[in-house]
Amino acid sequence: MKRKLSLIWRLTGLYALVSGFVLLGLSVVIVFSIKQHFFEQDKETLQGKIQLVSSIVSEGVGAGTLPVFADKLKSGLIGHKELLVLVMNEQGVPLYSSGGVTFPLNLIKGKSSVSSPHAITWSAEGQSYRGLVVTKSTIAQPKQPISILVALNINHHELFMSRFQGALLLYVVIAALISGLLGWLAAKKGLLPLYQMRNRALAVTANQLDKRMPVENVPAEISELANALNQMLERLEDAFRRISEFSSDIAHELRTPISNLMTQTHVALSFPRDARTYQSILASNAEEYERLSRMISDMLFLAKADHGLELPSKETIELDKEVADLFEFYDALAEDHNILLRLKGKGEIQGDRLMIRRVINNLLSNAIRYTPTHSTVEVQIEASDKSTLLTVNNVGTPISAEHIPHLFERFYRVDKNRMKGNSERVGLGLAITRAIVVAHNGEISVSSTVERTSFKVTFFKNDSLITKT
Amino acid sequence: MKILVVEDEDKTGMFLQQGLNEAGFNTDLACNGIDGLHLALTQVDAYDLIILDVMLPGLDGWKVLETLRLSGRDMPVLFLTARDQVEDRVKGFELGADDYLVKPFAFSELLARIRSLLKRTRITPEATVLTVADLELDLLRRRVSRAGIRIELTAKEFSLLELLMRREGEVLSRSLIASQVWDMNFDSDTNVIEVAIRRLRRKVDEPYGLKLIHTLRGMGYVLEVSDKI
Repeated sequence: MKRKLSLIWRLTGLYALVSGFVLLGLSVVIVFSIKQHFFEQDKETLQGKIQLVSSIVSEGVGAGTLPVFADKLKSGLIGHKELLVLVMNEQGVPLYSSGGVTFPLNLIKGKSSVSSPHAITWSAEGQSYRGLVVTKSTIAQPKQPISILVALNINHHELFMSRFQGALLLYVVIAALISGLLGWLAAKKGLLPLYQMRNRALAVTANQLDKRMPVENVPAEISELANALNQMLERLEDAFRRISEFSSDIAHELRTPISNLMTQTHVALSFPRDARTYQSILASNAEEYERLSRMISDMLFLAKADHGLELPSKETIELDKEVADLFEFYDALAEDHNILLRLKGKGEIQGDRLMIRRVINNLLSNAIRYTPTHSTVEVQIEASDKSTLLTVNNVGTPISAEHIPHLFERFYRVDKNRMKGNSERVGLGLAITRAIVVAHNGEISVSSTVERTSFKVTFFKNDSLITKT
Repeated sequence: MKILVVEDEDKTGMFLQQGLNEAGFNTDLACNGIDGLHLALTQVDAYDLIILDVMLPGLDGWKVLETLRLSGRDMPVLFLTARDQVEDRVKGFELGADDYLVKPFAFSELLARIRSLLKRTRITPEATVLTVADLELDLLRRRVSRAGIRIELTAKEFSLLELLMRREGEVLSRSLIASQVWDMNFDSDTNVIEVAIRRLRRKVDEPYGLKLIHTLRGMGYVLEVSDKI
């Protein structure tokens, strides 16, 4: 994979490039304006001179004699030593030249038809000149046009410009480099929290999931990211905690029965016994094994449910019919205990039949277990537009309030001592019940008073949940 | 009936072999996939059923089954596995497995599955009257009588007795009974089955000298003419 340039280097480059371009543009504008300024300045100077020269020349030429106007020019130009003057007739023959300079005759000739002064620039012998050309008609007869050029050596301007440009360029380069450096520093400093986060992230291991990203003293954008990461860490920590609790629960819950089995087997083997004793021990072991195996599959079910239970199938389930089937199953048992099973109402939900049966079965078997003889276990189903409610009511010793919040936790037993004798119950039933109810877009709650204990299961209809949120 | 057990876990393999032999099957044991496949392909007197572990050294259960089916062997194959993933089951059935049992399982459950697989391959005419000793169950008229005297049973008691009689001599676990009679396909840790059996016994066995329904502690229930318990 092509490795992307680091953010810092990208920012540095960007800073340098942008400031380079901006400064370069500015320099171009400045250079152009200065050049323009020089041009205007020279033109203004020359315009004054050209008027002077042309008045002398037009009068001089009119006088007819060359030396006269040459002398006049010379005297007129005293104090303007830097001024170069060329006077030329129509044929391009110089009438007067202030000497020492090669004039660009072709440039002058081409413009000689123009009456307003025209600016030209030329170089000769390593010097640069700027001049104004004007074509005038002589006053004296015969009238003939003559071209007059007045020029200045602008070498010092050129020199200044080239030095100035060089300085500007150097400045641009240095400024670009410096802003690049500043960009680098800013990026480095700006990204510092990211490095801190990286270091923090490196420190996060399974044992140290409590580490969090720094949220204070970081820029807003990064604090958002840090917050998001912290939330992720929190979720991970929670999931991880549940998993490790789960594993330790498993280890703990398996240890007791296995230790029982081991002791019993060792004791049995330490002396020869008759066949009946062996049989009875093996049978008791088999019962324990069966319980263990059931516990393992229950725990596997819960482990899967922790990652979100997927319903194996979805169909319309008539709750009243399921309850009736389960009543049939518990019929004999209830009759034995003189417990009356009663069903009220009807309703249907969408879900997995086997799982829903399991839910009702768990609630029902609990209810029957804790109901005293000669009383009633009642299942009530109420259907509304938004949800279907299934309540399992029974009378009996109320569950004390301290247990209520923990009832649906796995391996939670209300009466730890009473349960010890009855190894059938491992405290997973209600945890499984809740997991299934949750997977069916529902919730389960319990209330317990002296009159009765009720487990309430509410299955929300899918569309009602959408309007709810 | 010849059964081949392919199982790499020594103890499991030995116990399976012993159990199956005692249940009247002639059982061979292979400890890895390659030996298992070799035995299954070369035995002149072909096996009636193969019990195959999924995780095997050398050649796994899937491959063994695939090769078997490719060579045209169509004896029933029952998979044993500790992995309880739906995808595994689907894969097994796609490859042509006939049944699938997740470890740990009750031995009685395995026996029941084996018997039903073997029955499936043989066509036996459905009997309409089941008889064990002097107990008679008429499926068509839904009547039960013992020593000629009619016994009144509820619908579920009738189904329960029918199951026990159909599987005469087989030990039926509580969960199997719950599943077959009440369609409760999950472990219910109540003593519903115990109560139901007790009530059935009261009607079918109690008034008579010869007890037919027996409890095998830790395993389940069996209906047979025997007094070994």
